[in-house]
Amino acid sequence: MSAHHHEAVSVEEQFEFTSESKRQLAIGFGIGVVLVLIGAYLLANGGGGHEAAHGAAAHGAEHAHGAAGHHEYKWTTRLWANLWTNSIYFTGISVIGMFFICYNYLAQAGWSVVFKRIPEAMPAFLPVTGLLMLLTFFVAGHDMFHWTQEGITDPKSANYDAIIAGKSAFLNTPFYIIRLVIYFTLWYGLWRVLRSFSLKEDLEGGTEYYEKSIKFGVAFLVVFAITSSTAAWDFVMSIDTHWFSTMFGWYTLASWHVAGLAVMTLTVVTLKERGYLQAVNESHLHDLGKFCFAFTVFWTYVWFAQFLLIYYANLPEEAIYYRERFSGYGGIFKGPFFINIILNFFVPFLVLMTRDAKRTTRVLKVACWSIIVGHYFDFWNNVMPGTVGEHAGFGPVEFGFILMFATAFIWSVSTQLTKANLIPRNHPMLEESLHHDIA
Amino acid sequence: MHITSPVRTPLVTGGKTYADVTEDICRHVEGKPTKEWKVAFTISLLVLLYGAACVAWTWWEGLGVWGLNKTVGWAWDITNFVWWVGIGHAGTLISAVLLLFRQKWRTSINRAAEAMTIFAVLCAASFIVMHMGRPWLAYWALPLPNTFGSLWVNFNSPLVWDVFAISTYFSVSCLFWFVGLVPDLATIRDRAKNKVSKYIYGALSLGWNGSAKAWARYEYISLILAGLSTPLVLSVHTIVSMDFATSVIPGWHTTIFPPYFVAGAIFSGFAMVQTLMLVTRVVYKLEDYITLEHIESMNKIITLTGSIVGVAYLTEFFIAWYSGVEYETYAFVNRATGPYWWAYWAMMTCNVISPQLFWSRSIRRSVKWTFFISIIVNIGMWFERFVIIVTSLHRDYIPSSWAMFSPTMFDIGDYIFSFGFFFTCFFLFSKYLPVINMAEVKAIVKSSSEKLPKKVSGVAKGERVSAPTFNKDAQ
Amino acid sequence: MAESTGKFLVGVYDDDDVILEAVGKVKQAGVKIHEVYSPFAIHGMDVAIGHPRTRIGIAAFMFGVTGLACGLALILWTMGFDWPMIIGGKDPISFPNYVPVLFEMTVLFTAFGMTFTFFISNGFGPTVKPLLFDPRCTDNKFVMAIDLSKNKLSEAEIATVLKSSGAEEVSVKQV
Repeated sequence: MSAHHHEAVSVEEQFEFTSESKRQLAIGFGIGVVLVLIGAYLLANGGGGHEAAHGAAAHGAEHAHGAAGHHEYKWTTRLWANLWTNSIYFTGISVIGMFFICYNYLAQAGWSVVFKRIPEAMPAFLPVTGLLMLLTFFVAGHDMFHWTQEGITDPKSANYDAIIAGKSAFLNTPFYIIRLVIYFTLWYGLWRVLRSFSLKEDLEGGTEYYEKSIKFGVAFLVVFAITSSTAAWDFVMSIDTHWFSTMFGWYTLASWHVAGLAVMTLTVVTLKERGYLQAVNESHLHDLGKFCFAFTVFWTYVWFAQFLLIYYANLPEEAIYYRERFSGYGGIFKGPFFINIILNFFVPFLVLMTRDAKRTTRVLKVACWSIIVGHYFDFWNNVMPGTVGEHAGFGPVEFGFILMFATAFIWSVSTQLTKANLIPRNHPMLEESLHHDIA
Repeated sequence: MHITSPVRTPLVTGGKTYADVTEDICRHVEGKPTKEWKVAFTISLLVLLYGAACVAWTWWEGLGVWGLNKTVGWAWDITNFVWWVGIGHAGTLISAVLLLFRQKWRTSINRAAEAMTIFAVLCAASFIVMHMGRPWLAYWALPLPNTFGSLWVNFNSPLVWDVFAISTYFSVSCLFWFVGLVPDLATIRDRAKNKVSKYIYGALSLGWNGSAKAWARYEYISLILAGLSTPLVLSVHTIVSMDFATSVIPGWHTTIFPPYFVAGAIFSGFAMVQTLMLVTRVVYKLEDYITLEHIESMNKIITLTGSIVGVAYLTEFFIAWYSGVEYETYAFVNRATGPYWWAYWAMMTCNVISPQLFWSRSIRRSVKWTFFISIIVNIGMWFERFVIIVTSLHRDYIPSSWAMFSPTMFDIGDYIFSFGFFFTCFFLFSKYLPVINMAEVKAIVKSSSEKLPKKVSGVAKGERVSAPTFNKDAQ
Repeated sequence: MAESTGKFLVGVYDDDDVILEAVGKVKQAGVKIHEVYSPFAIHGMDVAIGHPRTRIGIAAFMFGVTGLACGLALILWTMGFDWPMIIGGKDPISFPNYVPVLFEMTVLFTAFGMTFTFFISNGFGPTVKPLLFDPRCTDNKFVMAIDLSKNKLSEAEIATVLKSSGAEEVSVKQV
């Protein structure tokens, strides 16, 4: 090859999860707990948050739900709804780490190898969110999921709902729990397999583990092709039980995907700033920026296509979904509805447009934070109207839960990063990645 | 410096030098047409003539010659339109998306795929013009002031969106294709022996001389056009899907249509590229450039997109049931078990099941299997559009207006026209323009060859061997 | 791009990596390179020669905004003011419905604008006679051109530099 000189970069790097970082994370988590407690106290006493406005319009929208015997609202539902929102959001971010690695294997991508450990560390958080979701479903399923209500499929019951009864072959508690367990088992189990290959490859070298990883990576993609859609129906779409949209699975996947990419990019940038991953050069950052940019546009495309078709046809059973978010419940979801589009499209699109922007860590951070916060709103806006309706809001509870989940997630990723060399030193594509140069 | 990992499989075989690349591609442009080419071209010309006669009669007599009725107002015409537009997606996908993803294997197939795109879009457009019945009023589709005879076009209409999308896609694809051709046209210009071809290729190559500045701009403009074309490709079939999905017809109004149509389009487009490339490869002896690796990669994409389409079919079916909407559920049950059940199962077999055969490595590396499945896929994708259009229309809300559709010879003849037109164009292209992007293949020779010749520049063959002032290596 | 006229020294190279390295060596020897010609894009060549980075990207944004504005003006005027129509129960001006056309107009303007910017910045045209120092540069050879009038070193000295940098042939060409 040519005699161009590249400064030799070391591939031997050990991430250190310092006690200082641990302390900070623990404090962050503690503040989260305190905020949630304060919030819960305020909610229990009927205050806090911005949900004071109980307009007549809000009740009108609620009746559109069609539930004859609507439950008495409990203040705890807001806690559980928050737990659910954060759980599905962080489940998505975690599983996208696995998704990213797998499609990189399938596409024989070489450039991403140098920071492969970061997406590889993300799925370790899945058991946490999986268990929290099971817990939430067991404890508060009845308050959040319309279809779990007593007698909803029983024609004699006052709660009977013919439409929901028609869905009961899919939406019933045993099958739902089985599905939930299957998703997490498959996602987490396949990650464990790939992770062990990756760690063994680090020690033993050779291309055997690379070839095996491709096979298992493809297996995961086949699994994820189906479970990503069904999980989206289960986790999110079934909250608005009457409503349906064929796009919903891919829309949720798009949302998870870009959020996962943003978290990955942000982690890479942060590690680089702390002196790790010096082998990551501007070309890698540029490509990560392109990924964030491209899938921001993709999310917007899917979001808009779903919106436009429902808006255009204006069928009442579909349009109610946007009506609730646009003018229902006293209009409290209208703000977040627009924040969603601004943070998830306009900000990253405009900020990441130029070449130089994608190579500047400061700009990348702005875009990534915008995407991460934005997609929280995306899920928040999908979960809250159907669970807490006009009682939704942003108060100590919301910030507290975000803080708890974020610190726990960072803790989990950091722990995983310490378990192996920060650069997969024996990956057969590593040389390509180290010399990645797209000028 | 560029490093290529040893686990990568080679994309160019036979130890090609740069001069070999030039020679292998250019000789088809420079040589006299072969007998096979003449025979094939004559056949496609005859098909075109027959088809043109059918189209002429369709216009002369009116659309009544088709098998349409009051209930089924769209059938083969729009099926063919969507089918061709779909096929027309692969070219830009290969060039643009694979360029953005830096997939090197695209270099051997992008030129022919882009050409195919352009011809396929023209075929698609021909059905729109046919469907107008009065093609001399086609300009009414443009936003012209009311005094031109029509009102302003209705910008709320997905059919108007289509006019903008297809014409933008067609013209931008032409630009992209032409920009990529310029350096290769210059190569042919500099090799040309007679004045006529020197003049023609000279004019077309616009004065290209391969300077570093020009190449830097070329690479830049390629990326920009690729970056524009990628969302453009998505938008075109998205908008085509909205011709159906904005309506309230059961089976048409479903939100997954935009991405699902795009995946289907890529699926059928890749299948068509496979079909054409497998033939071109043999006829032009290009096995060293279009290798089994290329075929395998394309087959993987066919399986991927076929599976995405499969997931979409299942999603639609599931949600139709889940929605609890009686009409929606019936539309899908009727597809699978109604009078057009055979179309539905043809679609399912060809589109969802057949590409799964490519999970077997030996099948996806078999030229015969690949050729066979590539044709099966396109049959399946035609049926997909037929199923969506005809089975949704023939039984909708009012049972008293239910009807069946059967094609007349003019439905068929007008479809045949598009084949004649497509292949006539493709044969002309493969004779007079380089079917492989020489410049881009040369750029990957070093990194992706199976074995490298001792001197990678090689010795230019042809005229310059006999005129050694130009080429001292020849001694 | 206006090509200068005069006496040029032309080095012909056999290998893209060799000429990329040669550019560095030749520049180091104090020779000003006019241009390098190659049959395909050599990654990093324009930077090695010292050409400024191409700035045609700025134009793209301008063309895009122009396309968007033209589309918006067309739709708003026709649908909203000249002949307002209520279709499908939507307001005469209903933005979600206009997004597809606005997008297409933006892309159309940008693509055409950028392609013509590309042609113009390269000085392209159907009647342009290309300046070819050696016609093999569109086939298999790599050509370095040195403008003798812009270099202080003598013809023979530069020829030695070129030879030692790996040029297979060196000749003088008057253009």
